Amino acid sequence: MRKFIYIMLLFAIATWSAHAGGYQVRLQGQKQTGIGLIGTPFNFGASSMFYNPGALSMMKNKYDFSLGASFIMGKAVFQKDATDYQAKTDNPIGTPFYFYGAGKITDKLAVGLGVYTPFGTSTKWDDDWAGQMLIQNISLQAIYYQLTASYQINEKIGIGAGFVYATGKVKLNKALPYNNSEVNLEGNTSNIGFNVGIYFKPNDKFSFGIDYRSKIIMKMEDGDATFTVPSALSSNLPKDNKFDAELPMPANLDFGLAFNVNEKLTLAAEVNWVMWSTYDSLIFTFKESGDLLNTANPREYKDSWIIRIGGQYKLNDKLTFRAGGYYDPTPTNEKYFNPETISLNTTGLTLGLSYQPIENLSIDLSYLHLFGQEAEKAYEPDNFSGKYKTQVSIPGIGISYSF
Amino acid sequence: MKYRYLLYILSLAILTACEPKIDEFSPSKGSADFTTYLAFGNSLTAGYADNALYSGGQENSYPNILANQFKTVGMQGDFKQPLMPTNNGVGVELISTGLFFHTKYILGYATDCLGQQSLAPVFADPDASQSDLQTQLFTSVADQGPFNNIGVAGLKSYEAISPICQFNPYYARFKSPDANFVLEEIPKINPTFFTLWLGANDVLRYATAGGAGDSITSMPLFSSSMDAIITSLTQYGTKGAIANVPHITSIPFFNTIPYNAIVLTDQGLVDALNLGYVPYNAFMEAMGMEYRINFQLGANPMVIADPTIPLPDSLAMLKIRQIKNTELVLLSIPQDSIKCAYWGSQIPVPDQFTLSESEIAAISNAIDNYNIKIKDLASLHPVALVDMNTYLNEFKSGMVFDGINFNVKFIEGGLFSLDGVHLNHRGYALIANYFIKDINRTFNANIPQVNITDYPGVQFP
Repeated sequence: MRKFIYIMLLFAIATWSAHAGGYQVRLQGQKQTGIGLIGTPFNFGASSMFYNPGALSMMKNKYDFSLGASFIMGKAVFQKDATDYQAKTDNPIGTPFYFYGAGKITDKLAVGLGVYTPFGTSTKWDDDWAGQMLIQNISLQAIYYQLTASYQINEKIGIGAGFVYATGKVKLNKALPYNNSEVNLEGNTSNIGFNVGIYFKPNDKFSFGIDYRSKIIMKMEDGDATFTVPSALSSNLPKDNKFDAELPMPANLDFGLAFNVNEKLTLAAEVNWVMWSTYDSLIFTFKESGDLLNTANPREYKDSWIIRIGGQYKLNDKLTFRAGGYYDPTPTNEKYFNPETISLNTTGLTLGLSYQPIENLSIDLSYLHLFGQEAEKAYEPDNFSGKYKTQVSIPGIGISYSF
Repeated sequence: MKYRYLLYILSLAILTACEPKIDEFSPSKGSADFTTYLAFGNSLTAGYADNALYSGGQENSYPNILANQFKTVGMQGDFKQPLMPTNNGVGVELISTGLFFHTKYILGYATDCLGQQSLAPVFADPDASQSDLQTQLFTSVADQGPFNNIGVAGLKSYEAISPICQFNPYYARFKSPDANFVLEEIPKINPTFFTLWLGANDVLRYATAGGAGDSITSMPLFSSSMDAIITSLTQYGTKGAIANVPHITSIPFFNTIPYNAIVLTDQGLVDALNLGYVPYNAFMEAMGMEYRINFQLGANPMVIADPTIPLPDSLAMLKIRQIKNTELVLLSIPQDSIKCAYWGSQIPVPDQFTLSESEIAAISNAIDNYNIKIKDLASLHPVALVDMNTYLNEFKSGMVFDGINFNVKFIEGGLFSLDGVHLNHRGYALIANYFIKDINRTFNANIPQVNITDYPGVQFP
């Protein structure tokens, strides 16, 4: 057990990646991940902070802790238009992680702290690949720290809200069209946001949830831009420069419904409205040589609707099985599809297992497999087009303990 | 024990992480036969760049790039090119004292007459000896032939069918012993597929001489020469591709030095110059001619020699005028002469360094007619027409491929090599892709294009 946590934490230091739904990753609880990433209509203890803070006040015990990580092993393949050229990404294993701790102050009021990573991407192409002028590698990571309060209005309704402090880190490399030239951009930032949720359980058969997470714009100021260019160009492109940019973490509105068929079997469905249309363009403003370097790169994402279904079967007091699936249409614009974020229309299939050696402890395993549909995409401003396809395996492990 | 079980599940999941696959490109030759490929043309075909023929340029010639791609659709054997022995190569100019040999250009730093250092094309080896360079160029490589790339630098259409081309060292160095001119090299290879891109020199040599030397090939001569060449190439029903002639006046060689390069910042100098031209202006007024020379603060049009001004030869020194903004100054103009020897202000720029409106019109008119002829040839023979004129014209307003911006500017435009006339390696790769596109379309073939980023552009120091 200890070894597992150790390994998990070790991986959590590495960056992580996802190939679905822009750069959003909804792997914030292994139980939810196993059931098709559905969380809004459930009360799965402390991890409700992310999925639906309204459900947190419904937790059964006085204290609940949950910790886990997933291991994203994603590959994308690219076939360049009109050529026999193919390239594959060589992404590092991504490790989104979460930690939640919650306690009940009174029977009706619960508070908690959560740390989780709902956005990120890590894509690594070969340095000399055909799209080197667009991107060579990128790693983007947001960590959310959330303080949560949840109140049980009555036995049927819980409401909750969280205050989010988010930190973001981005690092990217791309080639420049001169001999042995590249630029490296790196920066950190932070901002705040919130989430709110309502959990409603009218009877033993049904439960509903609605959750909203606000948009957080990651504003990068004075990031480090390092240019490697031939000396003849160094007066135009100084080696050390600073840049400003901003990247939105879009708002999500989630509706979920769960139905207990019997004591053992539960079925659930959820839709997520992800408000990606806020991601209109990626603008870089440089402190020096701005007239030469500043760029406004269109992205023109559109909102996406993710549809999820899942089920869970409680075999006995010790074992619970889960399965689910979803369809996550890409928010990207097919004219402005940049290989920095290889987000395709994606089908996800999930499996999950919880093992409870004792009543208060649950070891949760999940497995998510993503199939990114092959599609012809172009980034028109750079006249770069071809077919992309992705496949991602994401095993995950977590534990939760309550008392 | 249970935990070990979990570990197994986790490892299994990691192992099953599978690879996404996309169907590979499937090449096809369509209705053409690429078994043996022959490239016929001029310096552009030879891979000439940076003002020299050199091995690295030849390896990135568009025919060599095409040949590599043709291998995917059945090309057999090697694509042989008459490679130069060195990567510095040899270029040659005719100067007053005879032939001047030099290596290719690289981008380096040059110091001008004012002592200012700037980025400029410089010879890769400025100390290379004339005799060594001459030996490199004049040593025959015919015994390594026959060659699939018979592009000859400087070749005009009619020269390809005339023994006169034996005087061109770029032909002489690979000429087969029993061939008298380039056309007679065709049967040595017996191609099943050819490319033909010829005609640029029929106007270019006149244009780069500023219209003051050489001449534009007449339409009848161009037509009959091209007829003879295409007849020979297609005589066994051989298929191929023919590219037309780009409007050469858009190349950096004619568009880098501005017409108004005389920048004056001192009113005293302006007044002195204007005073100096008072007699000229008075004379022209008296003659009823509209020519006037006038300077002011800022950028001024150069004063140039114009032998077409209708004055008797005895008044040659008055056959000068200020250049118009529609006229072109050649990259070959000695820029130090403008900066330090009063060219363009007190001394008229010699005619060989400028193209006048009428010269530009003559060039343009000839190219239009050549291209009509080439289009006719393409319709009469089983060949793909590669409309290179239109393709290259698009670069005037800028093009982008795989995130690399291209335009027709000298050095920074990314398309042309350091001579401002020929393309750089990346530019030749683009040319190859245009050929492939039109070959695919015409013969219903599916030949893969190349990745532009695999080919180097101008190398900055």
